[in-house]
Parts: sequence; C-alpha cells; structure tokens
Amino acid sequence: MTNAFILFLVSAIVSPLLYRQGVLKLLALGMTLLAFGFSNTVIGLSGFENNPAVTLFIQILSAVIFAFILHERDEHLITQSLFLAVVSIALLQSSTLVTFIISFEALSLISVIITLGFNNSTQAQGAIRIFIAGAIATAIMMIGVSFLLLSGANLNSALPKNRDILTITGVLIIFTALFYKMTIFPMHNWAVSTYANISSDRAALLSGVAKSVSVVAIFKFFAPYLTNMSNEILLSIAILAIITMTIGNFMALFREKLSSILAYSSIAHSGYMLLAFAFVNSKYASSGILYMAIAYIFMQTASFLILDILKNRHNIETLTDIKGLSSYSPILSMFFTIQLLSLAGIPLLAGFMGKAILFYAGIDVGMLTVVLIALLNSALSVAYYAWIIKHIYFDKAQEGRKKYIDKSIFLSQMILLIGTILYGIYVYKILNVSIFLLH
Amino acid sequence: MNPLYMIFGPVVLAALVGIFFKEDFLVKIISLVLFVSMLIWSVSMLDTASINSFSLLGTYIHCNLIPIDLTLQVDRLSAVMLILTFLLLILVTLSSWNIKSSAYFALLIMFAGPITGVFLSTNLIWFFIFWELTLIPMFFLIGIWGAEGRIYASIKFFLYTHFASMLILLAFFLIYKQSGIMDISMIKESMLATPALIWWLMFIGFAVKMPIFPFHTWLPDAHVQAPAPISVLLAGVLLKMGAYAMIRFAIIMMPQTAEKYSYIILILGLITLFYAGFNALYERHIKKMVAYSSISHMGLVAVAISTVTYAGLSASLFEMIAHALVISPLFLIAGLLHERTGSWYMKDMGGLMQKAPFISTVFVLASLAALGLPGTVGFIGELSILIASIQKYGLWLAVIAIGSIIGAGYLIWTLRRVIYGEISDSVKTSNFRICKTRVFALLIFALLIIIFGLFPSILFDIIDPAFQAFNHTGGAL
Repeated sequence: MTNAFILFLVSAIVSPLLYRQGVLKLLALGMTLLAFGFSNTVIGLSGFENNPAVTLFIQILSAVIFAFILHERDEHLITQSLFLAVVSIALLQSSTLVTFIISFEALSLISVIITLGFNNSTQAQGAIRIFIAGAIATAIMMIGVSFLLLSGANLNSALPKNRDILTITGVLIIFTALFYKMTIFPMHNWAVSTYANISSDRAALLSGVAKSVSVVAIFKFFAPYLTNMSNEILLSIAILAIITMTIGNFMALFREKLSSILAYSSIAHSGYMLLAFAFVNSKYASSGILYMAIAYIFMQTASFLILDILKNRHNIETLTDIKGLSSYSPILSMFFTIQLLSLAGIPLLAGFMGKAILFYAGIDVGMLTVVLIALLNSALSVAYYAWIIKHIYFDKAQEGRKKYIDKSIFLSQMILLIGTILYGIYVYKILNVSIFLLH
Repeated sequence: MNPLYMIFGPVVLAALVGIFFKEDFLVKIISLVLFVSMLIWSVSMLDTASINSFSLLGTYIHCNLIPIDLTLQVDRLSAVMLILTFLLLILVTLSSWNIKSSAYFALLIMFAGPITGVFLSTNLIWFFIFWELTLIPMFFLIGIWGAEGRIYASIKFFLYTHFASMLILLAFFLIYKQSGIMDISMIKESMLATPALIWWLMFIGFAVKMPIFPFHTWLPDAHVQAPAPISVLLAGVLLKMGAYAMIRFAIIMMPQTAEKYSYIILILGLITLFYAGFNALYERHIKKMVAYSSISHMGLVAVAISTVTYAGLSASLFEMIAHALVISPLFLIAGLLHERTGSWYMKDMGGLMQKAPFISTVFVLASLAALGLPGTVGFIGELSILIASIQKYGLWLAVIAIGSIIGAGYLIWTLRRVIYGEISDSVKTSNFRICKTRVFALLIFALLIIIFGLFPSILFDIIDPAFQAFNHTGGAL
C-alpha cells in the first residue's frame, strides 16, 4: 500500500544507487511530491496511527524537505534528509511507548549521521557533541523506561494513566531525557555547539526539521499524561522554559557569528515551545505548539539554508561580513529579513501567530507572570534579529561583492517564504486541526 | 470598494513596486495616485460614519477555535484619523520629491496598508497585527534614509515600541480571557474581572506611542534622525495612532476605569507638557527643539483625554489635527535647513527671511500657530483644551496656559535666531531653492493652519459626532 512513509523510505534506500547519475535530485523531488499527496496515510504496522494534525504536519514536513532538496547539492545529504523524513513520519505517527522510543532513537541516529559529513575539526566538534548528548539522553530514557516496567506498564500501549510514584518518576525521567532533544536548559549546550559549528545546511535539518518534529511528537505523546499533573510540576516546566528562552535570547545578543545567533535563537524557541507543556491544561496549548512548530520549521530551516548560501557563495559568516548584503543581493536579503522578522514574532508572519496562540494558552491557565516574561523575552529577541537586519540594510558593503542566486535556491526559499507568510494569515487551517493533536 | 483592498492592496503593491520598479519618478506618481484615492475613499466614509456608532464594512477570515475574524468597522473617530493620515501621506510624498529611491516610496505605500487596518479593525488581534506592522516600514525609513545617528534611533524606536506592544498584547489576551469577546465594539467594561490591570497595561503601551512622560525617550532620537518627511509621518500619524488607541481602548471602551485614573493621565500629561517644553527651551538643535515641542503638544492632548468628557475628547481630536498641521512644516523646514546649511544648530542659522522669504514665512506662521496665536489652528486647539480641562478639574488647570508661555518662549527665540537677526555665513552661502512639489506641500500646510484657525467649526462639525456618547454637557466651543 502506498503511503508517505514507504515513499520516503524507498527513495532514501534507492538514492545511493543514483549518486553521480544526475537524476537523484529529480527522483527525490518527485517522491517527496508524491509523499506530500499521501500525507494522510498511516504506516501499516501496529503502534502507529494518524490524525488530521499529524497529517498537516507531515504535509508541511514534505514541503520543507522538498525545499531542502531543491537547495542541496550534496547527494549524501539529500539521502539523509529523506531518511530524516522517514523517521520523522514514524515518530509523528507512533502511538505506543515502544514505537515512540524506537522512532526517537532512529531520529537521534539519523541526526548524528547528518552531522558526520565534517570537513574540519570545528565541524567534528559539533558532531561529537550531538553524539554524546544523544547517548546520554538514551541512557536517561532507558532509566525512565525501567521505572515504567517496574510499575507494570505495557510498552505496547500509550503512556499509562496510573499516577503511582513509579509511573510518575518513569514518565518524568523520560521527559527529562527528551529535554536533550528539545535543547532545554540545562541540556542545551550541545545544540549551540552543534548548530553553530556544523555546516548550515546540516544545521537546517537538525535545528529546523528534527527539532520541530521532536517537539510535536513529544507533545502528542506526553501531553495527555501531563494534563492532570500537579501545578508544581507544570510550574517547574514553565520555569525551565523561561530560563531556556532567557538564556537563548541573552546569549544571542552578544554573538558575532550568524550561525551562533541562530543557534541561540533556536534555544530560545525551544523555551517558547516548552511552555506548551506547562500550559497543557488549556485547550489552546495544542494549537499553540502545532502552530509554533509549523512556523518554526519554515523559518528556522529557511534561515539556516540562507546561512549556507551566504557561507558558500559569499563567504559570509559573521555580522561584519554580512554588511550591505541588500546592495548586492536584494532578493536573498528580502528572504532572510522576512524569516528573521517571523522568528522575532512580527505579525502577519507565522512566527507571530504561533507565539500569540501559545502565550494565550498561558493566560487561559492563569499563568500571567510566565506569559509576561515570555512576551518580554520575545520583545528582547527583536534586538538581535533587528541587529542582523541593520547590518544587511543600513551598512555599506565591502567592495568586490557579487550578486548570486540560482533558480533552484530561489524556488527553495520561495517555498519556505510562502509557508511563513501563508501560515501567518491562514490561521484557521492549523487551529481547526490542532485539537486532534491530543487524540 | 472592498476595504480589504485598502489594507492589503498597498502591502502587495509595495512589494511589486519595490521589486519591479527601479524608476523612482514612476513610483512617486503611483504613491501619489494611491494616497489621493485613499483620501477620497476615506472622505467618502464620513457619510457611512455619520451616526454615533460603528458601521460594519465587512467581516473576513473565520476560525472556530478563537474568534479572530478580521472585522472592519468605521466610526467618525476612525474616519477622521484616516483622512488625516492620507492627507499627510500625500504631503509627505510631495515633500520627499527630492529623494531618488523607489524603495523609499514603496515603504511609504506599504505603511498605508497597516495604518488603514489600525483605524478600521475592531478585532483586538487584528488591531494588534496592524499596529505592529506599521513599525516595519518606519524602521527601514528611519534606518536607511535617516541622519548620522539613524541606526541607533531606528533600533531604539523599534525595540522601545515593540516592548510596549507586548503589554498591549497581554492586555488584549486578558480582555479575551475575561470577556470571551475579541471585538471592541461589543466589549463592555463590566465584562472584565480585572479592569484596572488591563487598563494599566494598555495605558503604558499606548503612552509609549503617544508619547507621554516618562515613556517618551525614544521619540527625540527618532524624530531627529529620521528624514524630515518621515518626522512628519512620525508626529502626524504614528503618535496620533497612540492617541487614537488611548481614546479607543483606554477611554471609550473603559470609561469608568479611565475616570478612576484620569488624574494619573492628567498629571503625566501636564509633566509631559512642561518637561518637553523646558527641554525645547534649552535645546539649540533645531530639529530637537521641534521634536520636544511636538512632545509638549502631545502632553496637551493627554490632558484633554484625561477629562473623559465630550468637550475634552473633541478638543483632543482637534488638537491632534492641529498638532499634525503645525508641527509638520516645522519639521520639514528644520530638515531643509540642515540639508542646505549642513548644520543642525541654530547658532549657524540666522537671517533666513532675507534669503528665503517663502520658507521663512511658513516657518513663522507654523511657529505662531504652535504657540497658540489667535487666528491659527493652534489657538483653537489649545483654547478648547483649556476650557474642557477647567470645566472638568477647576480653575487651577489654567496652568496649561503656562505651557503656551513656555512655547512662546522657545518658538519666538527660535524665530529670532533662525529667521530674523543677522544673516549667517552658512545661510548666506546656501541655496534655498526647493522644487515646486515641496513648495506646494508647505503651502497646503500653511493654508490649512489658517483656514481651520479662522473657521474651526468646519473641523468641529466633522469631529464632534465622534464622541456623542460622552455628550452630557455640550461641547467646549
């Protein structure tokens, strides 16, 4: 039976056979397009199920992978992106503890593989950090699973509903392990090093795609259990979220390297997204996280891919290098600026609506102070995004810079831009399906 | 005409023009045609908005989970604000004729969309969206075409006002949580469980934009560093947006809470009036002097708003229009003087009347109007505020007149130093010839200052219906 999972899997397995044949990209694009059409299908194995919220996210995932393939020249990385799509679908559709853990480990594995294409010691450092973080997370997760097994939980079902101490401890330990993936304080350091040091196209896959998929899947799996948790636990999650976003935003303020700024911005966004877990008792929490993840996958992937173009075509890595970009590459500047404004949460772009709905969930559950701090954090983040835009538009370029943008890159960025703008306005589509995220 | 076109049309047009049109003359013409048509459209809405309530223009975008429908409604207040906005946009375009950049005019076009949305949208979230969107073109206009310190000023402007907006958003969240309604035309103060908290969040948020002391510090920088026509847009439209929102949300929507805290608005308004006035008196930098004068006048608007009466609110709207007409030529001429003499300081100017009599005459007229000379629009604005304030708070509010005296102090001194006196070397060697469009813009400002000064009833007839709900005692004049 044809489904998105199989389509991605087949294209991922076949693609190494087509290296240097000149047709790999075409095949990958075709299969991704087909997978987009079959987003509403479910993996035909027990332990997986689909719903309209997951379908929408798989559609968007396919669109982002399509844009990535258009952008990418490295055939190995195209294959890896197809594998990433495969495990992402598995993770999103997993409905039992065992399929969730296996899919999650598969995602960790493919994330490590993605970082392995390093050319120098700095990139290697980033790859080693993600490997160690993944290993620690797995170890912690296994401890959590053993607690669940001790409590008599069935791994072939969703999280148990019991509230005994063993189950609660087990679930919280697993949840803590997942903080590594979500790059939550104090498990965020690896991500800064990895996202900032590896090549930016790889960072786009990890920071943009893998993280947003993880967050949605974790929410889908854990939110039902968290709904009746004590206020202290939810408040602790909110505090961690606040610390994470504050650290991310403050650290980004003082960076010179563009990939470091975006890496810290990614940490800050993890903080925002974690808030949804603290606000889980609001019916708007699932809308907020789904919206946020959709916005994030578009804007973060696009931003890192732009950094990749800047590095490879213009040798731009820092704020100083990017000065005056608008004067010789106005189209790329426009793409970057709109994505940065969306990351900053400026309205009519997806980033704003995601944050707005997520923060409203906080008001809905009465966490006014948490929302106020989150809003101020969001306003603070404008400082470093605006600072990049200032360098692009208000400063003079160094001499000898030349315009560059080819058609496939333009198309790739256009797809991501349309996503960012469309979901800034086309609100009801996401909101109407988001209620299924918890079913 | 579908009002959606008036909001999203300019944004799309700006993007197209910015990408495909490199010839600035063509873009100037396009923007002029667009703003004139939008002015005609907004004047035509006066009829729709003749009754004392909102008239529905349309509802778009629907969502089941949250009522984020884009509801567009017009009342007399929003219609008047739209007319003022488009009139100023036309004059700003004419005044910017010497700028040879299609992107500049594309940004002006882009600004017209969200500002229309601000005045027409009655859904809280959409109001906020448009409110925030106005920042983007202004940020680029100041940052790219501003003076030496433009980068600092543009980032400060963006951050400061964005921080304030977060408080507004929080207030809107609370309103929706407590009332279950997103549409301001249906929200009643009695539906709110924490009206005081909501009012304070909104008040601070809007006070930054107006600006009211102590939330004003972003404005002198933005005003000084922005190109002169953009200073006009800041003073004439962006600050008015703050005052409009203050009236719409903090007064009309929550009259009882506003009444409770009216003394706070009054005191902060008075401090703004005097503090900015004294700063202007001290200032040697001509554009900073005009900027502080502008803030001082907004303090007067705040005093009028604090009355929460029909007379006071009508007076505040009149003063807003008067302020826009009076302060704009002052900014334009201050910018022109810097453009031609290369200096911002009044000590380098002097004797301008001998060299450029037309510009000097407009400057003198606008200055006299700013200090409240009878026969000009400034006098009517200040007098109506004085009467409304005394009616509400008692005779002690005659202290407002001291604000006018301070105004007279710095404005007459400025005239003495810049327009009259001995001709300075920099003025002597500079050429003050300006293109016809810029002359025309100054002429329009001068004419409106006199017409509305001599026949204020034209304006009062238009703006009075905006506050009929508060009409228990009759107007100020």
